[in-house]
Amino acid sequence: MTRSGKTIDHLGWITRSLACLLLCSASGRAAAAQIDFTRQIKPILAAHCVKCHGAQKHEAGLRLDTATTLLDGGDRGPAVVRGKADVSLLIKAITGNDDAISKMPPEGPGLNTKQLALLKAWIDQGATPPAGEVVEKPNVDHWSFRKPQRPDLPKQVGETEAHQAIDFFILQKLAERSLTASPAAERSTLIRRLRLDLVGIPPTYRQVINFVDDHRPDAYDRLVDQFLASPRYGERWGRHWLDNARYADSNGFTRDFAREMYRYREWVLGAYNRDLPFDQFIVEQIAGDLLQNATPNQLIATGFHRNTLINEEGGTDDEQFRVDAVADRVATTGSVFLGLTVGCARCHDHKFDPLSQREYYEFFAFLNNCDEPTIEVPYEWQIKEGWLTERKSIRQRIAELEKQLAQKSDAFASAQQTWETALPPEERAKLPGPTQEALLTDLAKRTEEQKKLVVEVFKKSTEARNAFPEVDQINQLRRSEPVIPTTMVLQKRGESRQAYIHRRGNFLDRGRNVRAGVPAALHPLKSTNAAPNRLDLAHWLASSDNPLTPRVIINRFWQRYFGRGIVETENDFGLQGSPPTHEKLLDWLAAEWIHRDWSMKQMHRLIVTSATYRQSSKVRQDLVELDTDNKLLARQSRIRIEAEIVRDNALAVAGLLSGTIGGPSVYPPQPDGVFEFTQDPKPWNTEMGEDRFRRGMYTFFWRSSPYPSLMVFDFPNSNVTCTRRVRSNTPLQSLTLANDIQFVECARSLARRVQHESSPDFSAQADFLFLATLARRPSLLERNALAKIFQQQHDAYAADPVARQEILGLPEGSPENAADKQNELAAWTAAARVILNLDEFITRE
Amino acid sequence: MNPIMQNPLEQTRRHFFQDCRVGLGAMALGTMLNANRDGAIAAPGTAQHPLSPRPAHFAPQVKNVIFLFMAGGPSQLELFDHKPKLQNMEGQVIPQSYVENKRFAFLKKDAKLLGTRRKFQQHGAAGAEISECLPHLASVSDELALIRSMSTDVFNHGPAKFFMNTGYNRFGRPSMGAWVTYGIGSESRNLPGFVVLQSGPRGPRGGSPNWGSGFLPTTFQGVPFRNQGQPILNLANPQGVNRDRQQQFIEAVNDFNRIRLDEVGDPEIATRIASYEMAFRMQTSAPELMSISQETPETLALYGAEPGAPSFANNCLLARRLVQRGVRFVQLYHTDWDHHGNKGTELGESLDKITREIDRPAAALIKDLKRLGMLDETLVIWGGEFGRTPQGEPRQYLGRDHHIEAFTMWLAGGGVRRGITIGKTDELGYYPVEDRIHVHDLQATVLHLLGLDHLRLTFRFQGRDFRLTDVAGKVVPKLLA
Repeated sequence: MTRSGKTIDHLGWITRSLACLLLCSASGRAAAAQIDFTRQIKPILAAHCVKCHGAQKHEAGLRLDTATTLLDGGDRGPAVVRGKADVSLLIKAITGNDDAISKMPPEGPGLNTKQLALLKAWIDQGATPPAGEVVEKPNVDHWSFRKPQRPDLPKQVGETEAHQAIDFFILQKLAERSLTASPAAERSTLIRRLRLDLVGIPPTYRQVINFVDDHRPDAYDRLVDQFLASPRYGERWGRHWLDNARYADSNGFTRDFAREMYRYREWVLGAYNRDLPFDQFIVEQIAGDLLQNATPNQLIATGFHRNTLINEEGGTDDEQFRVDAVADRVATTGSVFLGLTVGCARCHDHKFDPLSQREYYEFFAFLNNCDEPTIEVPYEWQIKEGWLTERKSIRQRIAELEKQLAQKSDAFASAQQTWETALPPEERAKLPGPTQEALLTDLAKRTEEQKKLVVEVFKKSTEARNAFPEVDQINQLRRSEPVIPTTMVLQKRGESRQAYIHRRGNFLDRGRNVRAGVPAALHPLKSTNAAPNRLDLAHWLASSDNPLTPRVIINRFWQRYFGRGIVETENDFGLQGSPPTHEKLLDWLAAEWIHRDWSMKQMHRLIVTSATYRQSSKVRQDLVELDTDNKLLARQSRIRIEAEIVRDNALAVAGLLSGTIGGPSVYPPQPDGVFEFTQDPKPWNTEMGEDRFRRGMYTFFWRSSPYPSLMVFDFPNSNVTCTRRVRSNTPLQSLTLANDIQFVECARSLARRVQHESSPDFSAQADFLFLATLARRPSLLERNALAKIFQQQHDAYAADPVARQEILGLPEGSPENAADKQNELAAWTAAARVILNLDEFITRE
Repeated sequence: MNPIMQNPLEQTRRHFFQDCRVGLGAMALGTMLNANRDGAIAAPGTAQHPLSPRPAHFAPQVKNVIFLFMAGGPSQLELFDHKPKLQNMEGQVIPQSYVENKRFAFLKKDAKLLGTRRKFQQHGAAGAEISECLPHLASVSDELALIRSMSTDVFNHGPAKFFMNTGYNRFGRPSMGAWVTYGIGSESRNLPGFVVLQSGPRGPRGGSPNWGSGFLPTTFQGVPFRNQGQPILNLANPQGVNRDRQQQFIEAVNDFNRIRLDEVGDPEIATRIASYEMAFRMQTSAPELMSISQETPETLALYGAEPGAPSFANNCLLARRLVQRGVRFVQLYHTDWDHHGNKGTELGESLDKITREIDRPAAALIKDLKRLGMLDETLVIWGGEFGRTPQGEPRQYLGRDHHIEAFTMWLAGGGVRRGITIGKTDELGYYPVEDRIHVHDLQATVLHLLGLDHLRLTFRFQGRDFRLTDVAGKVVPKLLA
């Protein structure tokens, strides 16, 4: 819109110039001959300036290829002052008379005297642009900037019933290289793969047995429908989105205080579960607050961009960190929705992509205009149960009691003084520093803040509580107030904030003003507002004309299922990004998605029912050389499962996993000593009930000291957006799986399942253990290996009753009856521990 | 059985060298291979050890780094930068020419200058000026390269720490230790390549991102070793599992993993097998490392270390033990140097206390490394995220605010010129007037000493090649021997 906005401005300007021109001509021919821009000036600029300040490259935001852009100027403002050549920046730069700009052009001979005189004369004459001048758009012919066209399906090579559109594209590429696809994976592999991908939990023993024996032709499709309908699908795919949203439960930086954002998390899960079309999913998160009659849910959705860090360190410049947060929103919007490294243009024009620094700040302007309040978001049921009215009446009672107390202010003050005088020094020394300081300050000299501090302490004293019963009554009432959840949201700002170019990215060094706009290389912004706002941006992102978003998001879906995107650089679809391996397939998927009204579930179904997805993942010797990175997908990929899923899986197979969905974050056990390396120890009241066994995505996330077993498995640090996780493979992961108390608890519980849920012979128990964890029966080799460890540990624990009690987690001195049974349980615990540590257990095959 | 599969682990390893970059775990490796494009950094030696040593860009001067991070920002004016003129002008408002357009965390522009209460003296053959607060360090001053002209960009603790450690003032970039182990791996087969130790009343502000791996694989992130209890989280066997049983457990896990490797042929499984083997070795080597009571009474006395009583002294000794065992990068945090002038953070007793805590151990580290012939292959860095202002801070006691224009750090060890003082500040100690050395310059120099070119040690992320020194940094020739 900026571009067309500019054009409108210029039209006005041109009209005025024309009027001037007419007047000038009327005033007689005695004046110097009128200089013609196109004929006389443009060639000079073309020869000396346009290489760096032209349509393709506009350094310092300045384009000198047309009079229109020249008059508009660059990052430092207008290049000329019409009628005054000597004070014009352009002339100063050419003559080397500006302190901030080195003499232009920096290389080559520069303008000769005659050329300079002409240029000056043109400016002195009013710098008239030629009538009807056309400003050329930067010419970027890049595949991802063109709207995807739905391609025809390729010739159907080797088609069978199992194949569908996706497969035709894949098979075509394989045929070009004379390769064939892999056969379908075994059913047991397939059900485990599918449930891990869609729900994030391995299939149950029963599910595996049933599916393997289900010979109906649509057995697999039924499974897909069943898993997509599970509310745990929303958890699984919602968590992927939370990576993008840099969701965390604390503010970051040094103090890193807790924040409440779980209603946003719930919103994301819910959106996935009810299959909110992705275009709406975008709009509500970017600008839900600006929708007409926005619902509370739409407000909660704007939490997406409130997940930025907040610095609460003393002595910081609030504006600096506000600007940083906005910059983070720009970079995140760019990476997540556009797959472009927009953030690169914060300090200078983008080195590779058609994105100038000015365009960066025009984009920035969209996100620079919001207030950032925290609002109460009661659940429907809380409202129905009258929580709000109850709180209101409690608050009224508190107000009355406070009034009563205020009436006794003289007595209160004198009681406080008596208490202060009598306060023993050792008691005083226990108080926080600022309170001690306040107590040392003369009553008359205390600041309001200090007075408050002392009153607060006094109110806790027996003296105060005895003399003024209201104190306790108020406290009691406060404790009984129902707690309503809150969440952080975006809100339209009353007074709009002017955006500027920040020279070299420094927020203190303001360049020219800019207004909200989108990069010229992309699809145009449609807005009826004089000043486009965040809602316009949201609609622009969610537009079916957007060439990037549908490709970028579908590519990330693909990445989840195959371990690598069709575009490997999933967050860089720009000129430096890697080209798509299957461009037509990506375009087809993007077009199909829009055709299906942006339904995410439909796209998931499409992908997981393809033969490509259902292939075996076994490494094929013939492919090792021909397709080292498995880009052509002649087989599936083996993918180590994500951090939170590693633990979820162990809990699930142990039969411990809680079924609760949503709600505030929880505190499962973590090893001692986690907070030795943080500025302040963080509250961590380890859960003893069901919340001990919630899914990992609900684990409270402190940004300065995240939950160790998550981080060891490459959970994102959640400070900036994460669109693809690293997958490492380290000894610390081994230590976690082997020794962390939670995994030991899981092994114990799994062992009990082996004893209780299968018939009591070793072979059946071995089958059960394997089916429950790996969704398959053991091979002969594995059966032998299992027998070996079982027997070894059985003997060891039989000989060591103390160790047996310990491995079973029994309290000291527990009765030792049924030692046989206990030996067996201990041995199964050891065996289960082995299985929970296998590469296969933490891999989606 | 297919004969080439008889020893799947060996087979896979060989395979991996040649042409096999299959699977996703290879992503980490793939990215390291990217660094190989200019032929400088070789790929890691085996698929099993992303941390195994690799040749640097050019011949290194040192093998290991010990970074003594003085968290909070020590006052150079009390310790290293003697300014008699500041003494003379005490109580006067700082000339406005100094503070125009400057921002501070807490100070107002009319803050008054504050002279030091500490006495300075010249030490050693080179005559380094060091205050009475640091007598032990003064005794090894001929080993040190003092930099009085350090400068940084950011004046809040968290961001400034990230800046010193990662070259950028926000969360999320790899730290120096991560870059180094990414670049050249580590000599240790039984311990992590990058270890972090902590002493003082609290952890450093900003927490784990200070030693994080950012966008590099987590293999390269610093591993915090705790002072008490188990040094590494989850290092101890679970209750009821002794060492024999743990070994049987690891063997069983790897037996199954080998069967699977045979079946599906994914080299990632071989890496997993190696990870379990190293984890098991770590379970022995880490407690052995931590048990400083094995050291002689003389050595313990040299540092002032006491087994079982966590301290900076113990950590300095541990740092020596770590580099002795081949660990590449050791970082010690000691809090809290934030001397604003409240009770407990003033420039009187509080400064005495903290300088006592670090002086003897830091000097002992230099002496000990030298005695063992290790100083030539180790780089010791001392300093905080910034310095302190020449103006006093009007609080209850004597204090100073954060100062980013000029502060002091020192280096010692291989490749570093000994017994020199580099850089000079103006008469108030406000700005460098000679040899300003920016944080990025220091980082470039540290990498240089390790044989790494800071311009070539890069990692592509979000469309850009990132490096420790962001878009700046120059090696400082004056610092080099």
